[in-house]
Amino acid sequence: MEENNLQCSSVVDGNFEEVPREMAIQFKPPLYRQRYQFVKNLVDQHEPKKVADLGCGDTSLLRLLKVNPCIELLVGVDINEDKLRWRGDSLAPFLGDFLKPRDLNLTITLYHGSVVERDSRLLGFDLITCIELIEHLDSGDLARFPEVVFGYLSPSMIVISTPNSEFNPLFPSVTLRDSDHKFEWTRMEFQTWALYVANRYDYSVEFTGVGEPPAGAENVGYCTQIGIFRKNGGKATESCLSEQHDQHVYKAVFTTSYPSLQQERFFKLVLVNEVSQQVESLRVSHLPRRKEQAGEQGDKPKDIGGSKAPVPCFGPVFTEVEKAKIENSPTPFCVGDKFFVPLQRLLAYPKLNRLCANEEMMRSVIADSIPLSSDGSAVVADLRNYFDEQFEF
Amino acid sequence: MKHVKDSKTGSEGTVVQLLANHFRVICRPQWVAYKYNVDYKPDIEDGNLRTILLDQHRRKFGERHIFDGNSLLLSRPLKERRVEWLSTTKDKNIVKITVEFSKELTPTSPDCLRYYNILFRRTFKLLDFEQVGRNYYTKKKAIQLYRHGTSLEIWLGYVTSILQYENSITLCADVSHKLLRIETAYDFIKRTSAQAQTGNIREEVTNKLIGSIVLTKYNNKTYRVDDIDWKQNPEDTFNKSDGSKITYIDYYRQQHKEIVTVKKQPLLVSQGRWKKGLMGTQREPILLIPQLCHMTGLTDEIRKDYSIMKELAKHTRLSPRRRHHTLKEFTNTLQDNKKVRELLQLWDLKFDTNFLSVPGRVLKNANIMQGRRMVKANSQGDWSREIRELPLLNAMPLHSWLILYSRSSHREAMSLKGHLQSVTAPMGITMKPAEMIEVDGDANSYIDTLRKYTRPTLQMVICILPNDDKRRYDSIKRYLCTKCPIPSQCVVKKTLEKVQARTIVTKIAQQMNCKMGGALWKVETDVQRTMFVGIDCFHDIVNRQKSIAGFVASTNAELTKWYSQCVIQKTGEELVKELEICLKAALDVWCKNESSMPHSVIVYRDGVGDGQLQALLDHEAKKMSTYLKTISPNNFTLAFIVVKKRINTRFFLKHGSDFQNPPPGTVIDVELTRNEWYDFFIVSQSVQDGTVTPTHYNVIYDTIGLSPDTVQRLTYCLCHMYYNLPGIIRVPAPCHYAHKLAYLVGQSIHQEPNRSLSTRLFYL
Repeated sequence: MEENNLQCSSVVDGNFEEVPREMAIQFKPPLYRQRYQFVKNLVDQHEPKKVADLGCGDTSLLRLLKVNPCIELLVGVDINEDKLRWRGDSLAPFLGDFLKPRDLNLTITLYHGSVVERDSRLLGFDLITCIELIEHLDSGDLARFPEVVFGYLSPSMIVISTPNSEFNPLFPSVTLRDSDHKFEWTRMEFQTWALYVANRYDYSVEFTGVGEPPAGAENVGYCTQIGIFRKNGGKATESCLSEQHDQHVYKAVFTTSYPSLQQERFFKLVLVNEVSQQVESLRVSHLPRRKEQAGEQGDKPKDIGGSKAPVPCFGPVFTEVEKAKIENSPTPFCVGDKFFVPLQRLLAYPKLNRLCANEEMMRSVIADSIPLSSDGSAVVADLRNYFDEQFEF
Repeated sequence: MKHVKDSKTGSEGTVVQLLANHFRVICRPQWVAYKYNVDYKPDIEDGNLRTILLDQHRRKFGERHIFDGNSLLLSRPLKERRVEWLSTTKDKNIVKITVEFSKELTPTSPDCLRYYNILFRRTFKLLDFEQVGRNYYTKKKAIQLYRHGTSLEIWLGYVTSILQYENSITLCADVSHKLLRIETAYDFIKRTSAQAQTGNIREEVTNKLIGSIVLTKYNNKTYRVDDIDWKQNPEDTFNKSDGSKITYIDYYRQQHKEIVTVKKQPLLVSQGRWKKGLMGTQREPILLIPQLCHMTGLTDEIRKDYSIMKELAKHTRLSPRRRHHTLKEFTNTLQDNKKVRELLQLWDLKFDTNFLSVPGRVLKNANIMQGRRMVKANSQGDWSREIRELPLLNAMPLHSWLILYSRSSHREAMSLKGHLQSVTAPMGITMKPAEMIEVDGDANSYIDTLRKYTRPTLQMVICILPNDDKRRYDSIKRYLCTKCPIPSQCVVKKTLEKVQARTIVTKIAQQMNCKMGGALWKVETDVQRTMFVGIDCFHDIVNRQKSIAGFVASTNAELTKWYSQCVIQKTGEELVKELEICLKAALDVWCKNESSMPHSVIVYRDGVGDGQLQALLDHEAKKMSTYLKTISPNNFTLAFIVVKKRINTRFFLKHGSDFQNPPPGTVIDVELTRNEWYDFFIVSQSVQDGTVTPTHYNVIYDTIGLSPDTVQRLTYCLCHMYYNLPGIIRVPAPCHYAHKLAYLVGQSIHQEPNRSLSTRLFYL
């Protein structure tokens, strides 16, 4: 659907060599990035769970959106299958995604298909974006487009962007911005179309754009015009979804799912890590101070940097409420050379509390990884471990 | 090399049939591929972008192509020899791509191998593996471990390479493991400062963190921590590319949706990846937020924790049987996967799923002479039991020596003294009582005391240290290797507390004897008047600009005396100039020990990659041979052998339905050697658990005319001569001595040791 040089839409194909660079209008950041940023801001603001990008091209927008914690399903559709297949890799989770799993699951799927075909897997979305898409549709497809996207898919929100032809005279010798464009609309043309569609499928629409015109030419409007469509009456309800027949016409080219705290393996990894860190930190602070003991330090403390640098203190800063909660929880204690940290105490720390709702849950997850007291109410550690001795003088 | 023109294979030893982790690549010989050079204007550096830009013209060259960033391999030629295509970057810049025909390639041409490797990397992607560095890991098979305040996960993966060997192209596949650490650099700083013992927490944290590699999730990149900036914190601002100011917190939130919750944390400084080509160019350091950086690798705590290391070893050190099984599974997956088959079929490539069968020969173990007895290594390549209580070959008397001990280790010092007395007698070491001196325990107290007590006749200093604090150890070693050159032996108190103290003290006594110039045993080599040289390099972790080369040469016919010198050089600099000086000094010492000069020099060179072979030949080997000619124009001969320890080739010995490690002394010099080289593998050491790694030897220069049997036997003999271990080691002893020397200098001393120590193995 989108040609490769779509992002270069302010220059006509083939004519670039005759255009001195200074004369072409340069957007900063580049226009395509402004469009993506626009969508990203919209996602930040509305926190949709399911997002689809129709005409996703090289999947740049998807890559930008995948870091958004609210999104759980991200779908890209494009008619150019090759491009989808080879771009898939860059959407797969990185190593770091395993080290710091997301809170919520995320699945990313790329489909090969046309936006004027109906596929039930795109039903029930919160946001569907069509960035620089409609101008690539011929009149037949353009006529079918609203019926599929607004009528059939009927997401809560639709974003459509398209070139504003009123801006074109500012470019040197431009008729259409891309050779594959079937048309480019004035604001009036786009808005007329948009209002008609919105009215027909019960959406409300709001117009804006990106790519500010240069000083003196404000009257031409944004370089890219954007319509934000909101469904009147809110979300597609689940019940009306189930009535739909399964219709799978798109071909899934790539799919990947991200590690998240909703998956047992990663939840355990993170929770155990957090618990053992907290226990370790409590354990160390429980040890008697060693400084004063006989002068067998490895090295006398040197005063580097002249003045006595204040001892840096690292650690989370708690609010008064959090502090009170921690102080009111059972305190760690020692029996012999064993150090006990009650699970209730651990649950009082905000970070752990956020991960784990109750003691029972914590116990069941960590039980086979961290030693617990016989009644299972506390984590047990050796008060002194081998590593302390490395330092004990 | 003329003398191996007809045959570079030996015949000594018992033949055994082995399997190697290599799989034959089968390709149709009549097939031709077309190589095109691809050029970008303006030049694009980013490899990914180069691919994306070229991809815009995919229709013009089709699915059957392999692109390596610079050249394109096609199965069918383009219509024209030279074409120009225009591509557009996202920033609407036009890039001109020139694709020009370079040459036709046959499937076995070395050029093709690079493309096969690229193609093979694609198959990993099809199999849904995660690429980390050069290796690929499966996310599905993970093992989780928890210890020391952090969670670890181990991924199973593979490392593969396709290369042309003697008779065939093979795919070498080995198992690799990736360790994932959940801990962030912030967690690490927090924990380290809580555990800090000295008054200077910042210094302690900095020392521990520098050199670590951290991974940032948001861009999937790794950085080396070069420093910590304690003055800055995440609320500070920096200039964005458009000139506007932004705080680190805001930047990461806006750009990557990464929330920095802790404001009180310093920033990490990374100088970026160090590249040879970029030497001298000024680069902006990269500042990182500790909370967003994940630590990689193992911590010192974990390394020292016996139980977790054992647990890790259980998962990562695969026995020959498990390794064989895992690799078999892998090749079966390759075979069964339809997508992989299709991809390889595009190029008419197939893999043999059977392990390559290779004959090996097991050499006899060398005869070891200690005292008047001759012993042999047992089947585990070890003779510690056999020589226990035997007199040493050359025992040095101990007349004048000190024992320094920290206040808390009085008891251990006394016990050491007592044990030494009793263990040295059977060794043949005569000993006068040591002077016992108590010190406070900090680094300065040792050095101040040494300053008072050292005198010219002093032979040896023993320091009993309260713990293994590196700074104390370093400063004692630095003092005793440079300012006041006396052989020294440091022992941590804890070592002496152990039950097997007697065994440990025996080892200490042996080590001390070597450090003073004594000898423990000798090995029959059957060669006369030959000097053996070992060279290895160490790259300084603190000061990356420097690398340290250790040079160790035998200085008597029996190979019991060694000359050691180290050369500190800037990274990237050739070793050439100093080699001559080292060699001259070693020959001078030889002349003091022996009545006649050696005829030949055999150099074992470790620490170089395959890419540097030509440079070694052109510089080091050439310089040495030219120098030897100046001494004795006609009859000085030289052999230069490159030693490689880190290789992925493994050999398995089939034993019924089970697989075992080949026994020590197994030589492989067929099939997996290279056509253009004079090379061979030796499995010399024996391992308790896991699969043994063979060592690869490549004779790159030889005017001695060493036959394959001779060079193999000599090399194996030299693996019996490392005095710190009564057993066979992985590499020839001079190589390992050179490594130990370079390591001590690089890790602790940071300057050249005093030359007066050079005739003793003071660094053991």
